[in-house]
Amino acid sequence: MSARYGMVIDLDRCTGCGACMIACAAENNVSPPEPRATWRTGITPMVVRALSNGKDGTDRREAFIPITCMHCEHETPCVSVCPQQAVEFDKSTGIVMQMPQRCLGCRYCMTACPYHARYFNWWDPQWPPGMEKSLNPGVSVRMRGVVEKCNLCHSRYHDALQKAAAAGKKEIDVADYVPACVEACPTGAIQFGDLADPKDPATIAAKSPDAFRLLEAIGTEPKIHYKTTQAWIRALADRQSDRPTEAPHV
Amino acid sequence: MKFSRRDLLIGTVGITAGIAFTPVPWKLLGDASIWTQNWPWIPQPSHGPVETKLSACALCVAGCGMRVRMAAGFPVGVSGVTTNPVTQGALCPLGFAAHQLNWHPARLLTVRHNGRASSWPEAQAAFAKTCAEGPVAVIDGRPGRAASATLEVFAAKHNGSYQAVSGPETNALVPYAAWSEVPVSALGYDLENARTIVSFGAPLLDGWGTPGRFTRLWSERAAGQINPQLRLIQIEPSLSHTAARAWRWVAVREGTQSALAAALARVLVEEHLVKTQGPLPDMTLEQAAVQAGIPITAIRDLAHAMVECAPTVVITSDSDPTVSALNVLLGAIGTPGGIVLKTKMNQQHGSVPAAPATVRATVIDGTVPWDLIPPTQGEVFRFAAWDGGGSNADWLLPSPGFLEELTDIPTAPTSSIETYTIATNLLAQPQETQTAAQFFSKLDGTLPDVDKSIHARCEQIFQAKLGTIYAGKPTPVAQFTSGAKLEAQLRNGSVWLGESPRHTTLRCALKTWPTAAAPAPVTDWTATWAPPVLPLLAAKLYQESTLRDAPGRSQA
Repeated sequence: MSARYGMVIDLDRCTGCGACMIACAAENNVSPPEPRATWRTGITPMVVRALSNGKDGTDRREAFIPITCMHCEHETPCVSVCPQQAVEFDKSTGIVMQMPQRCLGCRYCMTACPYHARYFNWWDPQWPPGMEKSLNPGVSVRMRGVVEKCNLCHSRYHDALQKAAAAGKKEIDVADYVPACVEACPTGAIQFGDLADPKDPATIAAKSPDAFRLLEAIGTEPKIHYKTTQAWIRALADRQSDRPTEAPHV
Repeated sequence: MKFSRRDLLIGTVGITAGIAFTPVPWKLLGDASIWTQNWPWIPQPSHGPVETKLSACALCVAGCGMRVRMAAGFPVGVSGVTTNPVTQGALCPLGFAAHQLNWHPARLLTVRHNGRASSWPEAQAAFAKTCAEGPVAVIDGRPGRAASATLEVFAAKHNGSYQAVSGPETNALVPYAAWSEVPVSALGYDLENARTIVSFGAPLLDGWGTPGRFTRLWSERAAGQINPQLRLIQIEPSLSHTAARAWRWVAVREGTQSALAAALARVLVEEHLVKTQGPLPDMTLEQAAVQAGIPITAIRDLAHAMVECAPTVVITSDSDPTVSALNVLLGAIGTPGGIVLKTKMNQQHGSVPAAPATVRATVIDGTVPWDLIPPTQGEVFRFAAWDGGGSNADWLLPSPGFLEELTDIPTAPTSSIETYTIATNLLAQPQETQTAAQFFSKLDGTLPDVDKSIHARCEQIFQAKLGTIYAGKPTPVAQFTSGAKLEAQLRNGSVWLGESPRHTTLRCALKTWPTAAAPAPVTDWTATWAPPVLPLLAAKLYQESTLRDAPGRSQA
């Protein structure tokens, strides 16, 4: 039976601490930022951006929105444009996979992605001498000239598969597969689960009246859902990924 | 058979066309793309046996439980421990990349004397000489550890002084300690029972206290709720991360928090919102409102909101007696949901008066914040694992880095319950490094040994039969049959949690309204981060996203 892994991110619980960003980078062997790297040229498969209601004084309100690959279910834009078949939609998990070995760096997928969730490796990955010993052996280091993005910590999925296989099971235990950002969130704002399982808490949360998805109108059926009780965040959230800016707040 | 030129051409074309239908070109293309992504200069992760070990983070006073994934003997990933009753699986953002700190370009592995390379024997000889000449001051950043006992004994035996420097969270409790004559280390916040928390600039959701403790509480009882179970009122001039997520944000003029506290005190007493009839500030409500830039009606509303959902506790970002006095008026001292007395099992380690300016040598332990500059004319011996730059210490002495030192972690400053954890050294201590305790022990072999002190503390916990050990599942200490078993659990990453706080009314009467202090502003985690450098991946937060302002310290 195929799963559909996805997330429900409660924006009311996000404090903008950035733990998910650091945990993601450490887990996926993202190198320390090159001095010239910016929000667009750096590698941040999970990035938290600030939202503001645009008002002044005590009426001003702010919130934070973590943005990652949405793992679009329907007509996944990056998959259809890749000339190298370096982007693959895994039918058994619903994860949109990026294979850097096949990528030739044309960046069609970056152009096609409506969420700006893909990043190009502009520089050779470099660590200070000796720091390579601290790299995660489950994830290979990507070369300059390829595109990368969130793959829902696929190495952890493989670990869960191996554990299940060792126990003679065909399916993984959901508790064994938790992406780094989900594990790192100190407020429990990110719920991860199999959205194809109607009993999964994430599926139930995704169906809450407070839940929504970014750019839902374009029909890509993203598997990253958001949740908030505040109407102004919901209204702005659709704009956020569409209009990234270097300004501190939108 | 004659082989003509025509046959050669046909054969060549045929072979070429034939190869195109074999996997060879595709294999070559695939291999070429893999080769071009595996240049020799691209780092490769170490491969070896993968195991998971538990320890605790000793980089700051919080001492969060850590699950460390090791490969080939090196830490390759860090995550929180969900069974830890205090942190509940949380770590600060920097903790997730802390395992890379040992290879930070600013790592200190050479003894430095006035900027030049030196050696341990030279440092030892210089220190022994200054010791013989006069008194020594020893400065400790995290009192209460087993190593602290060594430092304290050394200072006492050498006619010196032992000082403990404290962070803003501890400083915030100083006024209550002065008023109640209870040591600061015995006080904590009972946040779990509070219904309203009024924060005067304390970054409660941004690195304050132990990660996970308040953030979890807030996310369960307040986040996104219009009428939350836990009301967080944030009073500060700018819309910080905490203010952005607070139930109510009160924008006060910079530096006028004391005036606002005075105004609130007047409303609380004059409108009989509190039972206490404490001393009132000289400042009138009108004067305070003008100073703080907040209308009188808004101040009245705020005072009513403070008592609407009791118990209420006021938290300051640093020592500010005028704001702390609000807790006395609210009756929040020694009561549930307020400032409570911990059950103290361990010996008190208080701060002693500042060292005299005549000391011949000042030794700064590696736990002391990097920017501390001791007011002394004597020679300064500074232990540190990383060089943050700009230090005026005469001697820079390399100390063990992350997970390289066996140390114990006593209760975090803001905690209402006593805890005890042992941060096991998962990595071998580099030969080039020494801790201050090891440095002293080489001069004086009679000093208490850290390992033995930790053993004694475990035995003390076992003998008291109080509290619970959390190792996956909680086990009451009373159920342990030997101290050795309890110690083994603690050395394997478990945490001891003491008894619930004592809700005894502390005598905290104010005779006069305290005078205002000017606390240092605490903005976020960068202020509470003890090491002089941040993990390199922290730049993701301020360089590749707009989440943070870049810290105002030198980065290698």
